[in-house]
Amino acid sequence: MSANTPYVQVSDLRRSFDVSKPWLDRVIERLPRQSLKAVDGVSFAIARGETFALVGESGSGKSTVARMVVGLLPPSGGEVSIDGISMVDPRQEAARRRLRARIQMVFQDPYASMNPRWRVAAIVAEPIRAFGLIEGEAAIRARVGELLGLVGLHADDGRKYPHEFSGGQRQRIAIARALASQAEFLVADEPTSALDVSVQAQILNLMRDLQDRLGLTYLFISHNLAVVRHMASRVGVMYLGRLVEIGGGREIFVNPRHPYTRMLLDAVPDLGRIGRARIPVSGEIPNPIDPPPGCTFNPRCPLANERCRREVPRLLDGVACHAAEEGRDR
Amino acid sequence: MSEAIAPSRLGRFLGSDLWASFKRSKTAMIGLAVTLLLFGLAFAAPWISLQNPYDPAQLELINSNLPPLWSPEGQAPFLLGTDDQGRDVLSAVLYGLRLSLIIGILGVAVSGTLGIALGLVAGYVGGALDTLIMRVADVQLTFPAILIALVVDGVAKAAFGGGLDPKATILLIVVSIGLSFWVQYARTVRSSVMVETGKDYVQAARLIGLSSPVIMVRHVLPNVTGPVFVIATINLALAIITEATLSFLGTGLPETMPSLGTLIRTGNRFLFSGEWWVVAFPGLALAGLVIAINLLGDWLRDALNPKLQ
Amino acid sequence: MSAPILSVRDLAVAFETRRGALKAIDGVSFDIGQGEILGVVGESGAGKSVTGAAVIGLLDPPGRIAGGEIRLAGERIDDLPPEAMRRLRGRRIGMIFQDPLTSLDPLYRVGDQLVETIRTHTALSGRAARARAIDLLAEVGIPAPERRIDGYPHEFSGGMRQRVVIALALAAEPELVIADEPTTALDVSVQAQVIALLKRLCRDHGTAVMLVTHDMGVIAEAADRVAVMYSGRIAEIGPVEAVVHAPRHPYARGLMGAIPTLTQGEGRLAQIPGAMPRLTAIPPGCAFHPRCEHAFDRCRTERPEPRAVGPSAVACHLYDGEAVA
Repeated sequence: MSANTPYVQVSDLRRSFDVSKPWLDRVIERLPRQSLKAVDGVSFAIARGETFALVGESGSGKSTVARMVVGLLPPSGGEVSIDGISMVDPRQEAARRRLRARIQMVFQDPYASMNPRWRVAAIVAEPIRAFGLIEGEAAIRARVGELLGLVGLHADDGRKYPHEFSGGQRQRIAIARALASQAEFLVADEPTSALDVSVQAQILNLMRDLQDRLGLTYLFISHNLAVVRHMASRVGVMYLGRLVEIGGGREIFVNPRHPYTRMLLDAVPDLGRIGRARIPVSGEIPNPIDPPPGCTFNPRCPLANERCRREVPRLLDGVACHAAEEGRDR
Repeated sequence: MSEAIAPSRLGRFLGSDLWASFKRSKTAMIGLAVTLLLFGLAFAAPWISLQNPYDPAQLELINSNLPPLWSPEGQAPFLLGTDDQGRDVLSAVLYGLRLSLIIGILGVAVSGTLGIALGLVAGYVGGALDTLIMRVADVQLTFPAILIALVVDGVAKAAFGGGLDPKATILLIVVSIGLSFWVQYARTVRSSVMVETGKDYVQAARLIGLSSPVIMVRHVLPNVTGPVFVIATINLALAIITEATLSFLGTGLPETMPSLGTLIRTGNRFLFSGEWWVVAFPGLALAGLVIAINLLGDWLRDALNPKLQ
Repeated sequence: MSAPILSVRDLAVAFETRRGALKAIDGVSFDIGQGEILGVVGESGAGKSVTGAAVIGLLDPPGRIAGGEIRLAGERIDDLPPEAMRRLRGRRIGMIFQDPLTSLDPLYRVGDQLVETIRTHTALSGRAARARAIDLLAEVGIPAPERRIDGYPHEFSGGMRQRVVIALALAAEPELVIADEPTTALDVSVQAQVIALLKRLCRDHGTAVMLVTHDMGVIAEAADRVAVMYSGRIAEIGPVEAVVHAPRHPYARGLMGAIPTLTQGEGRLAQIPGAMPRLTAIPPGCAFHPRCEHAFDRCRTERPEPRAVGPSAVACHLYDGEAVA
């Protein structure tokens, strides 16, 4: 595997959901089938050892992308390959099974992401047993203790049940479990949005420390721009199922080019900017079942013209915007 | 898996809200006490009763139609009197209780297993199979359970002829009850499964490549047992009543092997001739058992349902 | 500053449980003046929502006020009978909750709910109340209010619904508005609109606002003063600039450092070890001492009371005369 090939390659990923009414209602009310394009042609690459973040508001499709990348949800179209192995191609099933141990996910809600009836040791050990990584109970127990230590818990904590831990500790357990199968690629879907800020800082710091120690690659999903700014080396901004801007973290936050990115950055209530004057934001996210034609952001965009209402902008040089392409954005 | 089964289950239970709620509820305590007492009596029937009421050799006609002991004509040792064959009513009640409980528990086991399995499959697989199972359940719900039990019973009797031995009759009743009560389990389990499978811990199990049956048994099933337990308790009372009804209608157990229902049916005949005790005591035993189990079930339902708290 | 609209002194709220009474808040005091927005911030379990609920008399049982007093424009309201309290709510105290759907009845048109509130609390006739309702909707920035007034809540988007709730809260020109996480359920781009609206309306109407939220960013945008709560007590209260940029209490300092901002870039976040104690196990002395790097003997035994430090009041032994920090 050459150093130039990205570790994760996502090309033209698509997913639509059938949101039609039941068959009988459709027949009686003469309604057509309806589908929702949750993800509509998303492409990006993640290099080994980097943190790529997808940021967007609700309905932007960022979590759907995450689930397709780890293989929990089959795409309607497009391709995901990780370390050269396709997550979609049915002919690569055997290789994918071996790959699966190396990809894990950290979920948003640490209360729901572990079986409440299992002890923590069993929860953390489950991937080890499922992939048959270590033989022998004593060896597994030792490894579980080591993993719990790695995330800042005590080996004895394995004897407790999930409900005996606070939200932040549970998220540590979830990370320990994700690492149990020696994962090298973690997809974290809003890993701290259910946590309080002081605990969020602990988890974010832990994730960075683990990345430095173990060389992990992260796909980080969040709606919180400040968290993304803090964590990601590269960022993709999503709006209604499409990537509107992609680039290095610093560039996107210091010099945003897409009007949506600018609006979002300006809208975020931020500690660093008390009492500043702001450009008023207009409108809300349209219904994704019936998105506006052309650029889906055009009804809210101050730079929209006739072309924007007609033609979907393509991602050129990291930004999908006619105005940026035509130089009208300055 | 072995680690999931806690050695300190008892400790956890004593510290749980369930136990605290039990200690607060007088009715639950009474329900449990009466249920345990009747279970104990039924279990111990062969050792504590005067005679084996199923064994004609032990019956003496000379002792027939004796009233309870506290009546002027009462005779020791027949505490609750005897019937026209000289059968001790207390012994008959104890043995009848035993049979009723065995059939009830087996009926609940059959309907529970069937319902849980179908509910799990419907909820986890979904799609056409789910629709099929749930439509069958809907149709079955439009008939009263007793009617279904009667139909199953009738069909089986027609198929095998009248000469079934008592053991086969018990099996037949158990199956009839099982087929009449599975719907409630299936519906409850299906909806719980749909809730649980949406949770991230099931997704996390899928991520490490576990197969659907493994996920169902290892992760989903243990988390849907709460409501199933409630239904099973309440259905135990229903199953006992159903068996009694079948026996009362004459399609259940024969007079040679009487359950509480059979005793009530046969005892009914003596009401007009004044031997009230032959029917009253089996009736009281049945009512006591069913009420106690229902009290327990009602409490369990409230205690396990967070919405009612 | 003139006499405060809301004045809370030594407020304590207890919850009866089978393990005894638990104090959810204990000895909380603050004032809110006319047209002022006080942000009440804290992590989950700090007691911020309980404080808001106690002020409007909507504590969920088994919670009850166990001490202290609450005054609205000088009158005591914590000991009012439920019926009098009910009349007060909506008329003199408006409420805005996190989820606009729970505040709006889905079966009634938006206009009917507004008109009903206006007519309950003012002497306006039906026609005048409707005109006032349209004015209110226009004021909260709902386009074409003459038409939208006859819509049902589900026909409004999340942000528009929250605007309707704000209109409802302000319908009777209350002196005080309690807003509990008013922007948490909304998307970022909509949050900013709602904060700006709330801020403008309260300025214009001279309404005092208690803004309860976990989001420090929202507080920084909207509030004039901030109270940082920890374990049922106010750790630090003061002007927003001072508390955000120069916090004194070690907890407030840790909290501000833990929040990632857009301007500060990558770098490690400050972190406070551990987590907030559960109500059942609040440490003696200063509740923060097990997590505090500056804790000394006195912190473990004696509970610090708030004292003036610069423009703020801070409950920390570090500021007793000979300051250590």
